[in-house]
Amino acid sequence: MNENISEFISEKNIVLNLGASSQLDAIQKLARVLEKNGYIDNVLDFQKDVLEREKASTTGIGNEMAIPHSKSEHVRQTTMLLAKNDVGLEWNSLDGSSVKCIFLMAVSLKDKGDEHLKMLATLSGELMDDDFVRAIKKADSKKEILKILQKKGK
Amino acid sequence: MKIVGVTACIAGIAHTYMAAANLKKFAKKENYDIKVETQGAMGIENELSQAEIDAADVVIFAVDTTVQNEERFTSKKILEVGTSKVVKDGRETIEAAARLAKGE
Repeated sequence: MNENISEFISEKNIVLNLGASSQLDAIQKLARVLEKNGYIDNVLDFQKDVLEREKASTTGIGNEMAIPHSKSEHVRQTTMLLAKNDVGLEWNSLDGSSVKCIFLMAVSLKDKGDEHLKMLATLSGELMDDDFVRAIKKADSKKEILKILQKKGK
Repeated sequence: MKIVGVTACIAGIAHTYMAAANLKKFAKKENYDIKVETQGAMGIENELSQAEIDAADVVIFAVDTTVQNEERFTSKKILEVGTSKVVKDGRETIEAAARLAKGE
């Protein structure tokens, strides 16, 4: 997995200053980034899938973090985006905090038991690690964030 | 204290693994033995053996869906919670499991 993590997560997967004004706006903006990078085939459909998942239960996991995600036919290739937003966004979070850091996960239906899912699972687990979250929140350059993710995603 | 757990969420992408990580984190803080089986998009991982289940003082199901191979846990003390609750407050879940194990 190690040899592939730098292919899986590169600076393309990180968005600083997303500039979103709401949860919906954030998901829309991130979907557009995914489309531009060729990971999804349709912004609106993908967005709908993510919002559906959000309706089932919030992905605002607390500590200003959210992990919206979708496993859908509109995802061409499994990937993730990490975005930071200066303004805290209302996300109905578990601890009531507004969200400033978003991990968006897009999973292709074709992927099953592969290394990408494994990396997403590992990163999800790391979100329970206070040191990891602190480091991600503090990091303010793409390079720095990438370094933290790549170190942990192994 | 020996705890075994199973985590499973609807999409099997994130909460399954966050809940597993948080159960382990807070069990370790209490010096409890814990092993957590994840039932996610990658299938069953870190599978619990019948011997491990039999030896456990208590079982935690952190699930938003049905547990696969649930018959392995017949006659065990089981604490069932949603994954979000474990993500939000892993400590409370571990404490509740310990209370259940002690019959409190």
